[in-house]
Amino acid sequence: MSVVAPQPYVEVAEVSKIYRSGTADAVEAVSSVSFTVPRGQFVAILGPSGCGKSTLLMMLGGLEALTAGRITVDGMPMSGPRTSIGVMFQDSTLLPWKSALDNVLFPIRVLKRPLDAYRDGARALLERVGLHDFAHKKPHELSGGMRQRVAICRALVYDPELLLMDEPFSALDAITRDEMNELLLDLWQQYTKTALFVTHSIREAVFLADRVLVMTRRPATIVEDLTIPFARPRPLAIGETREFNEICGHLRECIEESHYRERGRRAAPAAVRPELVA
Amino acid sequence: MTAETQAAPRIASAPERIAWRALLGPSLRRLRPVILPMATAGAVLLIWQILVTALRIPAVILPPPVEIATELWRMLPVLLRHAVPTTLDSLMAFSLATALGIGLAAAITNSPLLRDTLYPNLVLFQLIPKVALAPLFVVWLGISSESRVAFATFVSFFPVVISAAVGFSSTEASTLRLCRSLTASGWQSFVMVRFPFALPAIFSGMKIAMTMAIIGVIIGEFISAKAGLGFYILYASSRMETGVIFAALFVLCVIGVTLFGAVALAEGLVRRSYGRR
Repeated sequence: MSVVAPQPYVEVAEVSKIYRSGTADAVEAVSSVSFTVPRGQFVAILGPSGCGKSTLLMMLGGLEALTAGRITVDGMPMSGPRTSIGVMFQDSTLLPWKSALDNVLFPIRVLKRPLDAYRDGARALLERVGLHDFAHKKPHELSGGMRQRVAICRALVYDPELLLMDEPFSALDAITRDEMNELLLDLWQQYTKTALFVTHSIREAVFLADRVLVMTRRPATIVEDLTIPFARPRPLAIGETREFNEICGHLRECIEESHYRERGRRAAPAAVRPELVA
Repeated sequence: MTAETQAAPRIASAPERIAWRALLGPSLRRLRPVILPMATAGAVLLIWQILVTALRIPAVILPPPVEIATELWRMLPVLLRHAVPTTLDSLMAFSLATALGIGLAAAITNSPLLRDTLYPNLVLFQLIPKVALAPLFVVWLGISSESRVAFATFVSFFPVVISAAVGFSSTEASTLRLCRSLTASGWQSFVMVRFPFALPAIFSGMKIAMTMAIIGVIIGEFISAKAGLGFYILYASSRMETGVIFAALFVLCVIGVTLFGAVALAEGLVRRSYGRR
């Protein structure tokens, strides 16, 4: 093993984010987080809501300033948004007056690239996610799942190298969500971007990712870094296997443990946690 | 079994109801919003006519509708001539108020410094009864049409500022974040996202501005004018021609409804494509 390890594609080093820093009600959203992501890996950041995982993702996208630490993407320190990074948000953030196709082409318009060169690509993407017949429909004529599919196409159309997804399917019902996960993996296989996917669903994280980082509150830091062993392509049915559920169980323990630790620090009543007294 | 027997008549009655509606319902129901107010207005005019005749109220105090209609017909060429400057000045003031209002709102929403310095003053300014300032405009700008347009603009721009400012800040934070993630410039996000998102709100401000502009122009004409419906109403009142006053008011109403209707129509079109659903 004399091969020199290649430089990681994403490097997060000792990153902290403190809101209202220096005041009495300062909130530490992210506390000294470090990890690296090699090119082409799909990483899920898993944690309870309010643990600062979205803040971390926004810092990775150059949309939030860091209080301390350093983020490097593709060898260059992050100083602001970049066109090589695509972001997907919790809501689809489609423009209500534009058709699905025009929404997909919105980044091209903003980036002032030639629309004609991308129109076919945008149509192909819409066809890929099963929305070919809906290209000229407005967002209000589409279902929630369809809108997020348009948002996926919009994130992919200008071909960013890094895809940041902030709980993109959390507003969808369970069945649609499964569909979207399968579709996302499918697209993923085809385009193989480096991806960071924030979620509070353990099963979603395990199904999608090569690697799951578990993030907890107080301190807002990463407590587990787990490689998911399943080969790709992954059918939805792997969710029924024992191994899958064992991994889920382990991750749940990680989250619960830190949850109790947090409660313990807040002077939990002895009756609730007898082992703390013993 | 019971479900079948219960369901059967319901299924049969549904098409029946549809057929009944097709025959009578739709035309009547669609015209309801037109017929009802028109019938009410007609009834009021009728009662007016009857009361004035029955109580022998002198025409100088309150002319009956029929006499107003005759006056309108007789004076129509004169009234139309005077309607031209009133309409043009109103339109001019409305356009200026819209442009000024949108510009100010854009400046306020894009710069926290400007917002903090301007906004409280604008609101305070709004509390002044601006009609009372009309004579000042005569002092500053004389008795020309420009003076009246300036005054009407001054009276009507405020609602546009407020509603446009509300509209500009109503864009969802996540959509603006998307723009930033795409490295959009402030100007790009304004033109491509903020402005279209604000359009419905801007139009509700413009509707108010349209009526205010007409009011401003009429007040201006009351104070200083040689033409215009405001001037002509004062002129007719000095000659005790109450019928002519009402006829002029009628023309003024038609102008107001038309201009307001045009803005409302444009608003409807804009809402259909830019409104949030």
